[in-house]
This record gives sequence, C-alpha cells and structure tokens, in this order.
Amino acid sequence: MESFDKKPMFAAMKLRLQNSWMFVAFFIGFFLVWEYSVIFFDIPLYILTPPSLIVEKGAADLDRLLYYTYVTGTEVVLGYGVAVILALPLGLAIAFSSLLKRTIYPFIVCIEMVPKIAFAPLFISWLGFGLLPKVIIVFLVCFFPIVLNAILAFSSLSEELTLFCRSTGAGVWRTFFKVRLPAALPQCFVGFKYAAINATVGAAIAEFIGSDKGLGFYIQIVTGNMRPDLAFAGIFFLTLLGLSLFGIVTLAERLLIPWHISVRRT
Amino acid sequence: MSHHIEFAGLKKVFGTGPDAVQAFGPVDLSIAEGEFISLLGPSGCGKSTLMMMTSGLLEATEGTVTIGGSQVKGPQTDIGVMFQDNTLVPWRTVRGNVELQLEMRGKSLKEFSDKIDNLLASVHLDDFADRHPYELSGGMQQRAAFCQAMVHDPKTMLLDEPLGKLDAMTRERIRSDLQRLWMQERATVIFVTHSIEEAVQLSTKVAVITPRPGTIERIIEIDLPFPRDFDVKNSPEFTAHVREIQEIFRGYGVI
Ligand SMILES: Nc1ncnc2c1ncn2[C@@H]1O[C@H](COP(=O)(O)OP(=O)(O)OP(=O)(O)O)[C@@H](O)[C@H]1O
Ligand SMILES: [Mg+2]
Repeated sequence: MESFDKKPMFAAMKLRLQNSWMFVAFFIGFFLVWEYSVIFFDIPLYILTPPSLIVEKGAADLDRLLYYTYVTGTEVVLGYGVAVILALPLGLAIAFSSLLKRTIYPFIVCIEMVPKIAFAPLFISWLGFGLLPKVIIVFLVCFFPIVLNAILAFSSLSEELTLFCRSTGAGVWRTFFKVRLPAALPQCFVGFKYAAINATVGAAIAEFIGSDKGLGFYIQIVTGNMRPDLAFAGIFFLTLLGLSLFGIVTLAERLLIPWHISVRRT
Repeated sequence: MSHHIEFAGLKKVFGTGPDAVQAFGPVDLSIAEGEFISLLGPSGCGKSTLMMMTSGLLEATEGTVTIGGSQVKGPQTDIGVMFQDNTLVPWRTVRGNVELQLEMRGKSLKEFSDKIDNLLASVHLDDFADRHPYELSGGMQQRAAFCQAMVHDPKTMLLDEPLGKLDAMTRERIRSDLQRLWMQERATVIFVTHSIEEAVQLSTKVAVITPRPGTIERIIEIDLPFPRDFDVKNSPEFTAHVREIQEIFRGYGVI
C-alpha cells in the first residue's frame, strides 16, 4: 500500500473539534437536563436515575460489568469473526460462479428476508444457555450483510477495467490480486461495518432470551430489580463494546483503502 | 514479424431479432505496418466497436481481423490499447498505474523504470507521478492513461480518443509529443478522434466513416512531411485536406 500523509490528521482533528463544539455543547446540555430534571420533577430513582448516580453505582459494580463485557465481547468477536471468515469466500464464490449465483444466491436473498433474531429462542432451546447459541446468533446477524455486500463487490468491476485486465493477458490470480480484490474492498467494508453494528445488538438480544451471564443478562436482571442506574451502566458498556468493534473495522478500512472517497480526508 | 492489420468483411451487430443494432460494417481495410491511421466519424458510428474487435476484446459478428498475418480470435496482448474511458485504478498513484500495465504482464519494473520516467515527462506529469488519480484533472488523468497504454512498447497501438478530454492548448502540445513518439517508434497506430485538424496533422491516412452502421466513406492519404509543425499546418495542402473532410461531414448533415 502506498503511504498516505498522516500529518494533517491533528490539524483535521482540531478543525473537527472547532466545527463540532455545538454538538459537544448539546451533548453536555442533554446530560445536564437529564440530571436536573430527575431532581426537579422528583422522578423516583427506580424509574430513572440521574447520570451522576449511574456513574457512581456503575463504578461500585465495576467488576461484574467488566466481566460481563468480556463475556459479551467474546460472543461478539467470535460470531463476527466466523461470519467474516465464511461470508467473504462464499460471496467471492457466488460472484464468480454462475451455478452458485442461480442456486445459493437466491436462497441467501430469501433467508435475508427472515429476521434472524427470531431464531434466537430456538437456538437457545437446542443448544442451552452457553456461549455457542450466542455466537451462532451473532454470526447469523453478521453473515448476511457481509455475504451480500461481498457478492456485489466482486461482481461489479467496471467494464473498462474488465477490458483492461483482459487486454493484458494476465491470469485469473494476477487479475484478482492486482485489480479485482482492491476494487472490491470498499463495498466489502460496507458489509463489515453494517455487520459490526448488528453484532452487539444480536448478542444482547440473545442474552435477553436465555443466559446466565453477559451484559444482556445483566441489563435484564437489574431492570427486574428496579435498578435503572445499573441498567444504564450496562447499556453504557454495551455501547462501548459496539463502538470498539465499529472503531476497529473503521480503522482497518482507513489502513486498507486510504484512497477511497469514504475515507479520504480533504 | 510484420504488424500490418487487415479487416475483411468486418461487421458487428449487437443483439438479435427486432432489437438488433447494426453498429459497424461491413468494412474491408488494410493498414500497413508503421501507418498512423485516424478514424474520423460521427458519434455512434462504431469506432470504439472497431477498436474492441481489433484488440480481440469483442467478437465480430461477421468477417475477420488479421494482425501480422494471424487472425484475431481472442485478446491481443502484444498491442497497446487506450480505452475511451480511462482505466486508472484509484488505489494506485500515477506511476503505480503505469506500472500496473507491466505487472499484469509479468514484466520487470526495473527494466522499464527509465521508460516510465520518460513517458511521464513527455506528457508533463513527472511532478504528479506520486499522486493518486483523484488528485488529477480529467485531462491529466487522460495523459496518465495514455502512458499506461503504451508503457510496454507495443508495436501496434489502438488509441480511442486519447486527447478527448484535454483543453485545446494541452491538446496541441500532446499532439506534437505523440507525433514525436510515433516518429521514433514507428508503431502501427489506429487513432480515434473527433477533430478533423488533429487527424490530418497526425496521420498518414485518414479513414472517414459514415454514420451508423459505420462503413468507410473515403480513405484520404495525407502526404505531408513529418514532423507536421506550425508551417505544415498553414500550408495550402493541409487546409485542402481539412476542407475535403469537412465537405464529407457536411454531406452527412452532422456539421
Ligand atoms: N454493448 C453494446 N450493446 C448494444 N449496442 C452497443 C453496444 N456498444 C455499442 N453499441 C451501439 O453500437 C454503436 C456504435 O458504438 P460505438 O461505441 O462503437 O460508437 P463510437 O463511434 O465509438 O461513438 P463515440 O464517438 O460517441 O465514442 C452505437 O450506436 C451503440 O448504440
Ligand atoms: Mg467511442
């Protein structure tokens, strides 16, 4: 990969901060309004807790929260990883095989219509409360966006580039690694990012349905115990988990396709 | 091996049945080795189609293309093609894009390093060798694509409107660069352009094509000395050729 200029990054960050001070102010304002309206309207603590209390109580329960973040994180990473590893080659195969395009492809499109999360109770009844059913559910919600975007990515090389490749007489492999793969990466990343957002949602819902640990389990239990403060703390860690995965994928995108318009800093 | 090109009864029809579009031909034409022939014809008359059939990227409906004595049946890898739409990839720099042509052919980059420098300098892109296509204007991209198309020293070149997106001034300059390069290498060139003056300036022959389905209206030998600099362009012979072609186009009702 060619090197890209990293110097303007700090300048760009500064500029972004300058441009987003209103957003930051609004964000802070939102939490202030939340904090003081709970007090002002005298909302009972078992309904809604002010942010300050969420931080305080959450910190007191940090050990459990961190452990459950680890549990849910494992489900997310495994499900997502397996989805990437299986969906990418399958998408590639479907894009290049007219047989698969006429058999598996329509099947995948049909399955895509089914809300995958609806399978969660079944998987849990088949496989129990452990790690496996959650990984499968995360896998399911990640697999389809990746495979569908990969098919699109690998079957949409421009007409001119296709002709160019043929005119050079390059073989299948050389054409693939020098042109087809790099040309397909931006569209693949659309799938990776979409799946990254799905992953934590899938894990949390799977845990709601049946589990004895994890952030989804935690949120459900503490809500049942009238502890919205801890529920919010759980949501905070779940968000953090989702953002981390999304951040890693975005970082990979920046490193792999710095030339693409979605990544370029101007 | 001689690199003359022969078209025999060459014809292209797209589609079948009532929706069929007869895009080109039938055409018989023989292009001698070292010739610079321009195809001049109204839009949609099948010039790009002819280029595709010549390079073996598109199958002819009828007739044959023969290059250097052997019939074209698949992609020809020993020729240089510059497509009408540029074939630069966004993830490589200008230089990287030129190198892509060599890498795809399994050629050594080291061997061609000087050649790349010279080519880029000849189209005034040496300062932009390390830039990506999106940092270039349309005309600069076209010049980069030109270098990409001819870096591997092809003895036959098919150039489909290579100067189409250039402004008049750059175009003038690249024209003389192109002429100089051609005079050095004496490759066989088929050149598509919409500019009558450009065709007359660069070519040994101009083939005027009729509106779709394109057939050859007239072949005009341009018997003027090379290099065709400013003086040649002001000569009465030059103007007479331009006038002759303009008359044909006026007959078509396209100008
Ligand atoms: N893939 C295709 N399918 C169907 N028709 C086509 C196809 N490609 C070209 N044609 C038709 O063939 C005719 C000739 O097209 P071609 O691109 O060769 O024209 P051209 O002379 O290069 O025109 P221009 O100067 O505008 O580039 C056009 O009328 C077009 O409609
Ligand atoms: Mg054309």
